[in-house]
Amino acid sequence: MSKVVLDMSMSVDGFITGPDDGLDQGLGVNGERLHDWLGAGSGDPRSYRPVDGPGATVFDELMATGAVIVGRRTFEFAGGWAGDHHDGVPIFVLTHAAPDEPAPGHARYVTDGIESCVAQAKAAAGGRDILLHGAATAQECLRAGLLDEMELHLMPVLLGQGRRLFEDMPPDHIELELLRDLDGPGVLHLRYRVQSAG
Amino acid sequence: MALIRLYMTMSLDGYVTGPQDSVDAPLGINGFRLFNWLDRRNEPGPSGQVFTELMSTRAVIAGRRTYELAGRWQGDHHDGVPVFVLTHDVPDGPPPGSVRYVTDVRECAARARASAGDGDVMVHGAGAAQALLRARQLDELELHVVPVLLGQGRRLFDNLSAEHIELDLVRRLTTPEVEELARHVTHLRYRVRRPS
Repeated sequence: MSKVVLDMSMSVDGFITGPDDGLDQGLGVNGERLHDWLGAGSGDPRSYRPVDGPGATVFDELMATGAVIVGRRTFEFAGGWAGDHHDGVPIFVLTHAAPDEPAPGHARYVTDGIESCVAQAKAAAGGRDILLHGAATAQECLRAGLLDEMELHLMPVLLGQGRRLFEDMPPDHIELELLRDLDGPGVLHLRYRVQSAG
Repeated sequence: MALIRLYMTMSLDGYVTGPQDSVDAPLGINGFRLFNWLDRRNEPGPSGQVFTELMSTRAVIAGRRTYELAGRWQGDHHDGVPVFVLTHDVPDGPPPGSVRYVTDVRECAARARASAGDGDVMVHGAGAAQALLRARQLDELELHVVPVLLGQGRRLFDNLSAEHIELDLVRRLTTPEVEELARHVTHLRYRVRRPS
């Protein structure tokens, strides 16, 4: 059964971008600091594979997923990955209203909500896991009880300001279980299973 | 020189209390979830080790809010070590026990370091932590990261500037797998890098 796995790089103070993120700077002011655990790449997401053992392990798992779910905002800030995140797996872009022009490459817009989006991704993932990207979509998935796991790359820095991963959530506790912690150079990779909404 | 180290329990989503914390409910609504790991504070293992270290510090810095919500610790946080309470308005009347009131964050840090001697200084409370971070007076953070999303509450990291503060992870202690899930915690110790 496919699991929905959130993948995000986060500072110790909980930010996933610096301030003023936008189309011309997807990670906000000085937000690239959050991606220092990745290798030096360009364009193709695959080119960012880290050289260290833990980093490569985590990266390869992400690139072995069978579908991608992403929010419209994150998708556009990432230039739509030119229509191919990895291996041509389907990319489901969650949005309220699809733009006029068709989605590029292997991407498609989903306008009928997160449940439908997850269901479509599971049907398309061929039993492999589903990679989830973006804070707003992660929050929607958590609220709907549809998130199975989180792979957080905890960066040893306080950004001070920016966009937070966890925001606008109800006060209901969501219990987690730490499945794995991998200590890489300048990063701690934490994998949590989402237990329950309680 | 004595190190100034923050000790705070935080949910993975960054909260140190549940919502609506007050004198009547210092940890906010359902905030007690964060402190399950303290059930193991007097036992062998990572949580016992960290708690013993905390109680071995030789001075305490706390924010006024935390101090009041904790009932002023009746004047003694542990072992009669000096407690420096950072406040904008010094209360009327003499402070209880080993408490001193300080209005300037740098003076507070300097006096706490001096009085800790060969030991270290523990910091408690989000407000004090933020003030010390802004003044670049915090040396280390010992974060007890609890595997839960509280959703709402008081954040540990808030009201900071957009200037990055670089950290180095110097220790990571994880509860053994045999521990019940409810008492799981990851103790992360970060050292604050000095601006070069």
